[in-house]
Amino acid sequence: MTTVEEFVALVRDELGLPISADDIESSFDEIPGWDSVHLLWLLSILEQRTGRSVSLPDVLEASSLRGIYALTVA
Amino acid sequence: MKSPERSVSTAENDLLSPFQSGRLAARYPLVKDHLASLAESELVRAGHLLSRVDPAEVLRHHPATPTVSVAVTGHGTFSSLLPHLTAEIARHGVLLRPFFSNYDSYVFELSDPGSPLYRTGADLTLCLLDPMLVLDDLPVPWTPADVDQALTARIGVIERLVEVFEATSAGTLVLNTLPLPWRFSAQLVDYRSKADLGIGWRRANTRLLQLMTDHPQVVVVDLDPVVADGVPVTDARLSTYAKAHLSPLLLARYAREIGHLARAATGRSKKCLVVDLDGTLWGGVLGDDGVEGIDVGGSYRGEAFQVFQGVVKQLGSQGVLVAAVSKNERDLVHRAFQERAEMVLRDEDLARIVASWSPKHEMLAELAATLNLGLDSFVFVDDSAYECGLVRRELPMVTTIQVGEDPAGHTEAVLRDGWFGLRELTAEDRTRGEKYRQEIERKNFLDNFDSLGDYLRELKVTVRLAGVGEPEISRVSQLTLRTNQFNMTTRRLQRSDVRSLLSEPGTDVLAIHAADRFGDHGLVGAVFLRRTDRDLYIDNFLLSCRVFSRGIEQGCLAAILDHAREATMEAVHGFYRPSARNGLVEDFYTRNGFVRVGEEGPVAIFRNDLLRPLDRPEHLTLHEEFGKEAP
Repeated sequence: MTTVEEFVALVRDELGLPISADDIESSFDEIPGWDSVHLLWLLSILEQRTGRSVSLPDVLEASSLRGIYALTVA
Repeated sequence: MKSPERSVSTAENDLLSPFQSGRLAARYPLVKDHLASLAESELVRAGHLLSRVDPAEVLRHHPATPTVSVAVTGHGTFSSLLPHLTAEIARHGVLLRPFFSNYDSYVFELSDPGSPLYRTGADLTLCLLDPMLVLDDLPVPWTPADVDQALTARIGVIERLVEVFEATSAGTLVLNTLPLPWRFSAQLVDYRSKADLGIGWRRANTRLLQLMTDHPQVVVVDLDPVVADGVPVTDARLSTYAKAHLSPLLLARYAREIGHLARAATGRSKKCLVVDLDGTLWGGVLGDDGVEGIDVGGSYRGEAFQVFQGVVKQLGSQGVLVAAVSKNERDLVHRAFQERAEMVLRDEDLARIVASWSPKHEMLAELAATLNLGLDSFVFVDDSAYECGLVRRELPMVTTIQVGEDPAGHTEAVLRDGWFGLRELTAEDRTRGEKYRQEIERKNFLDNFDSLGDYLRELKVTVRLAGVGEPEISRVSQLTLRTNQFNMTTRRLQRSDVRSLLSEPGTDVLAIHAADRFGDHGLVGAVFLRRTDRDLYIDNFLLSCRVFSRGIEQGCLAAILDHAREATMEAVHGFYRPSARNGLVEDFYTRNGFVRVGEEGPVAIFRNDLLRPLDRPEHLTLHEEFGKEAP
């Protein structure tokens, strides 16, 4: 998984959130149905998929999916 | 390294596409079977989706779905429990109605009788405790004495919260023991101090577990055996940064325990363990290897089968009915049990052995009829993929466990899901196997009579109908939870509910005890009464399936009507609320002198104007001791 599209598809499938590539810049507050539990779940999935460890404090400080993407994939 | 491009499995898609199209609530009845097909790691993923479906929406589509309301509070962050809890409860076909209180709010929520948590009136209230509850309070540096002091203070707070809970709520409060994280013990460099820490820590956990002794509304889940099984207590990153102090794996196992409690609370505990023989209880094939040739004791594998037989016997001693179904010659099976002294499980431990060449699903159906139990109360264990597959397809309501080739794994496979979990064991449970065996003798006895009347006369049934006393409260509660067929209104009652019915003015609970020439049945039924000046209401009437159709129900109803007439009441009223399983008693009241006078929603209402007495079956000897408000 390397592209933004794949990242967005993963969020959609794992969390069941109806997001599109446009939402990636939105702050978490603006994503309907977003919950802080999702962040931890997403992190564990991303670590499993990429086989890489991601810094949790950095993830917690991220304010949008773009931030998470940058930390975990890019 | 795991493949980063791993595609989403079909199993996940099965929930994902209906979720995305908004059809998951409509398809909710399929969820249970779907979850049964998932690996444990996939379960939480499904839980994430299911936890986002509105329970009200599911109930709109499927109003009869059994539900359990669970309020959750605790220390630290516990919101990630929700997906685990949703999935584990859904696995039992029960719909979770959750309420989550705020981060670290347990003291506030449980100490204030007007708190949002108490206002939910939940069936189960979970107070999730973690070790940081104590360790966060420590000074730096700390000593074992500091830990002991913090533990004593915290447990004291919890004990007071339990008292408020009992004064406020009629539900169940679930606490848990605190596992000691290695990273704290490891901060002490000498063994004497490590031991002191361990002593204080265990003393605190013992105090928590002892809460169950004096507080009937409290359940304490012991997490020590779970942790000892290799589940990590904490995830250092989640604990440090997200204040989620218990590891995701431990939360999953905790949620599984709560699933078992929810199953017991909704009357869905399994009652009967049905085991295959060849390859399951012993090694080899009885038909080919002969009685002397099967593997039990005396070899590595033989000893492993003995161990498993011991586990089955252990379950049988606690009220689980044990039966065997096997494709074998009947005589050969009986000879194997009689002649092989190494068998740990004996003939007398089995309520019934069904040995024939019929397909296993037919044998199971026959067994259910003989034992008078629903197939949904069966857990079936077999080592054959073919037999397991057949039973799953033909009888999806039976819980099927396929054990592997290695008997060393049988025990865990059968115990893993706590299928037979109960809040509390009663005296009835200890002798249940014996009672069912007596029942089978009764059936054989029946075959010798020309008519049922002759049989019943010879059976010499005696019944005692009497007010419920304190020692019987657990058994009465259990009957309301376990009885599905002869249960007029299927009101499930916890012990505290029964106790309050006994203490409230105007309500009373009668217990039905029965015995006959073959033995004592014990407490087999209950009648819940409510009275006003002129009217007596039978809010519920239930009878164990072991003793149907012997006139016991008619005799007890006649006694209640006589009692009401003697007390110069005007009428007795009865109710029937249909459930999936109680169709048998739909016409119980109309068959016994009542007239259907109307309904309230799904509940049918019946009335008897006490114009003439109901006949008491002549074969029955009935002793009546009416309850606290008898005239």
